Amino acid sequence: MKKLLITGYFLIFILIIVLLGGLWSSYRDAPDQPIAFSHKKHLTYVGLECDHCHQYAEVGLQPGIPAVSVCMDCHEAVATDSPEIIKLTGYWNRKEPVPWAGVYYLPQHVLFTHKRHIKKGIDCSECHGDMKVVEKVRQVRSLRMGWCVTCHRENNAPVDCWTCHK
Amino acid sequence: MQRRDFIKILGLASGASLMNSCGAKKGAEKLIPHVIPPEIEIIPGQAIYFNTTCTECPANCGVSAKVVEKTIDQQLERYPVKLDGIKNHPVNDGKLCIRGQSSLTRLYDPERLKSPLMKDENGEMVECTWDDAFTRILEALKNSDKKHAYISSRTTGTLSSLIDTFCNRLNIQRLKEFEIFSYATLREAHKVLFDRYEVPSYSIDEADFLLTIGADIFETHGNPVSHMIQYAKARKKGMKWTHVEPHVSLTGLQADQRMVLNPESELYLLLYLARQLAGNRLTQLPDPGLDRVVQSTGLTEEQLKDITTAFQNASRPLLLIGEIATSSEHGLEVAVLSGLIQWTSGMMERGIDFNHSLNYDSVGTFRDLKALAWQLQNQDMGVLFMSKVDPVDKHPISFYLKENLSAADLVVGLSDFMPVLSDDYDIILPLSHSLESWGDAETRKGMRTIVQPVLEPLHNTLCEGDILLKILEKRSGRALAPNFQEYLFARLKRTLSNDKVEALLDQGYVETSTPVGKLNLNLRSVRRFLRDITLPQLPEGMVLIATPSLKSFDGRSRQLELLNEIPDPLTTITHDDWVSISEGAAKERGIKEGNVISIAVGDKRIMELPVKIQPFLSDHVVMVQRHMLDTFALSISDKTGDSINYLSRLTMQKTGSNVDLAIMAGSLSQEGRGVIPNPAHHDAHHHVEGRKSLYPEHAHENYRWAMAIDLDLCVGCSACVAACYIENNIGVVGKEEHLKGREMSWIRIEPYYEEDGTAHFLPMMCQHCDYAPCEAVCPAYAPYHNPEGLNVQVYNRCIGTRYCSNNCPYKVRRFNWKTHEWTDPQNRGLNPEMWARPKGVMEKCTFCIQRIRFAKDKAKDENRLVRDGEVVPACAQACPTNAIVFGNIMDKESEVYKWAHSDRVFRVSEHLGTEPSVYYLQRKRDDHSDHA
Repeated sequence: MKKLLITGYFLIFILIIVLLGGLWSSYRDAPDQPIAFSHKKHLTYVGLECDHCHQYAEVGLQPGIPAVSVCMDCHEAVATDSPEIIKLTGYWNRKEPVPWAGVYYLPQHVLFTHKRHIKKGIDCSECHGDMKVVEKVRQVRSLRMGWCVTCHRENNAPVDCWTCHK
Repeated sequence: MQRRDFIKILGLASGASLMNSCGAKKGAEKLIPHVIPPEIEIIPGQAIYFNTTCTECPANCGVSAKVVEKTIDQQLERYPVKLDGIKNHPVNDGKLCIRGQSSLTRLYDPERLKSPLMKDENGEMVECTWDDAFTRILEALKNSDKKHAYISSRTTGTLSSLIDTFCNRLNIQRLKEFEIFSYATLREAHKVLFDRYEVPSYSIDEADFLLTIGADIFETHGNPVSHMIQYAKARKKGMKWTHVEPHVSLTGLQADQRMVLNPESELYLLLYLARQLAGNRLTQLPDPGLDRVVQSTGLTEEQLKDITTAFQNASRPLLLIGEIATSSEHGLEVAVLSGLIQWTSGMMERGIDFNHSLNYDSVGTFRDLKALAWQLQNQDMGVLFMSKVDPVDKHPISFYLKENLSAADLVVGLSDFMPVLSDDYDIILPLSHSLESWGDAETRKGMRTIVQPVLEPLHNTLCEGDILLKILEKRSGRALAPNFQEYLFARLKRTLSNDKVEALLDQGYVETSTPVGKLNLNLRSVRRFLRDITLPQLPEGMVLIATPSLKSFDGRSRQLELLNEIPDPLTTITHDDWVSISEGAAKERGIKEGNVISIAVGDKRIMELPVKIQPFLSDHVVMVQRHMLDTFALSISDKTGDSINYLSRLTMQKTGSNVDLAIMAGSLSQEGRGVIPNPAHHDAHHHVEGRKSLYPEHAHENYRWAMAIDLDLCVGCSACVAACYIENNIGVVGKEEHLKGREMSWIRIEPYYEEDGTAHFLPMMCQHCDYAPCEAVCPAYAPYHNPEGLNVQVYNRCIGTRYCSNNCPYKVRRFNWKTHEWTDPQNRGLNPEMWARPKGVMEKCTFCIQRIRFAKDKAKDENRLVRDGEVVPACAQACPTNAIVFGNIMDKESEVYKWAHSDRVFRVSEHLGTEPSVYYLQRKRDDHSDHA
């Protein structure tokens, strides 16, 4: 009986570890996007800059997700027969926005401003990784408070709570 | 169950829930882009502002709506999150009252009508399509050979002209517009005096002596916001003010000298004043003699002389009357006599402006309502349209109207909320909020304002103009205009030049030239009128006075939960109806606060309400806000058609039942505690320099934020409270929570009635103490002092011990006892710059830290420090009298530094050594107030 209990205990313990492991990988995983947009293609092969699409990074809190019409500026003519672009054209024809899945998540009580960081001269890749080689976007930094504060301390940036909390 | 088993299961369960909660996050939040970028570009996270017009009351203030983009239910849309006044607007110059601020909650109210409703065979109201509703209306219009009628509340501008066209084409009689506050007495008086049935606009700012008789210029009269702005200007120039009233009003408490006269005795006062001030020309006036004036009004001879001397000594005196003074049997006589005084003292050239009179041209009186009720009773009504109007008030006439409404073939209501009379309506058409509609308004002569939509309608609603156009189109098959927007623009272009139209759209208003008409006194009609004045008998015994309401106006705003949540500034009661009686009257009858009393006129019982004891109220006066009366007991003046807001021959009886009133203030007196020290003790013993402290001095680099509040200017209007609620996503919790002392307001108005007959209104919010008692006691270090002198609360650290709140001497910390439900669409109106705090977290005023942050961000872009006046907290922005200033007290040029070094300055409970960052300026004392 006692042996059984101990085995049961271990089983539960292992189960939890497996669950947590699964969690960790799902945390690391890139979420599926409605259209398999490749940053690599657009940045490396086409040679676009980040702010071609994310035009508000230097002036706004958020960098902005490009309007469908911005995609269609090129894709009305470019790669129109590719299955992904057919999906895009579908959205455009239905006049529907593309419901991109968010990758970087910040809780509601955190205020992050892209503008201040870009104006300070911090490269996008510091937080987002080298997007030139990324096919499917995933989160590459923990975005935990400790990570923010470490960088703030190193760069003499303000660490007052209400700088980033709201 | 064994303890170990329990723990095992617990472990499994928490593991599973952990997985669920975390797994859901990834990719679940959608980033919704535009399909096509909008014409007006919005930088993500930044707000844009639209100028439009407030439609909460007939004043039609200019509104600058702050609009943000938000993704809700995977839809990227724009939503207004805050309303403020338009800067330099001729009416409200950047300010907005408590009701204007709350207009946003009307937009997002879940109780709004969401689609057209029609009565089915069983008499139930069921949802229907617009088309069905229109078909039924047109059929009824065609098939009935009875008369049809259209009644609305005050409507101006293009919509009014469209209603005319609509009524002409469909052979509908347009009735006089209905407003409970119709100023019928004032207008009638001006007709007698000058042949002008009008309500003038006032400018108080140039006056050096203001005499107000009954007029509640800060609550509902004309344009309260503009009166408050002008008052602040005049006050700074040293204007003296005497107010005469039979009851207690917010306006009256602000005057230097408040005089209490007997109810309905204003005519005696006016007869006295007219003889004294208007000279010998008025020989035909009856002369009651000084003794009788003193005896009737209850004012002393000295007080009467005070008024006349102050009036005669002033170089620019101004006399305003209204509300209580004009709503008695003798209201018209009172109004005519004061009109004569105004005329003879030259106020018509200075202060009382008929060239820019308020637009009440098509507003009728209760008499017109009588005609309507008569028509209904005679079974002579086909289709009756009732737009934005619930003409059921407190008069017997409304009772008849209500009884006979079903006699009409079809009653069509246009409304945003379920109308009071909805049982008798056949069709209810839901109206869009003004923030969802196009329109314009001409609130006064020479002033046009635009109403423009800032968001798509939240529900299946239409604006009144669109409804009328669609009905017309369905009838004739030909559209007058594709929609009301086009119709509006066509008319604007016809009546205004191109630059004016552009200016109108851009700044929200334009001023147009008005013909300057000279006022002529109609001597013949005045003589005839004066000849007929007789000295009235005054009522004896208890008198009930029905007053207008600061929060509910004439009752139209009473369904807004935010307004119910904000305490009434005179009594600090929330959520309840009550009747105010004096302490003496209560003692005499053994009545305690909260006892429900039954009030009867003669033997007719008219109401039952719980009692609140109102300081300063006369023993023979009972005061109740008119929308709280649930009776048809008030009468209508035969002479003017105005409402008579007095009831006499009252008897009062305890019913034996009791209501727990939610009264927010522990006491309406300072109880000798010196909250507001008298005299201000700038260097008295309270203020100790170089106090010893266990903690190191705070170091400040560039900024140390502070606030100063001038109690001489604060009138207690509570606009700041409403603004704070909306700016900071503060939860509305309801009466039950209030009774437990769990209110959430970050700023409150504390009324203090003093023994010398004056009153103070003290806005109280987090004092951001330098040595804050809350900071030292938190085990989680959640409240802390930031380098800019703010006492800030870190919500994520807060574990809800509530020690800080216990230790706060100012009672300003608020604990979230539950997670506030922001049901759809309320969640759409939340300010994204501020978090909506969850359950278990302590919160409080932050000095609008989001606005500080915004200003600092902007300054950093321009590589400079924040300038003085750049950070304006929501309360200061809303304050009509500019009684609140905020800024960096390290900057010696700043306004707040100057105010904090005024000789009237004090801080609340300074002897505690908390060193607050909020400075108060004592009310200016003068000779008047000493013997008032």
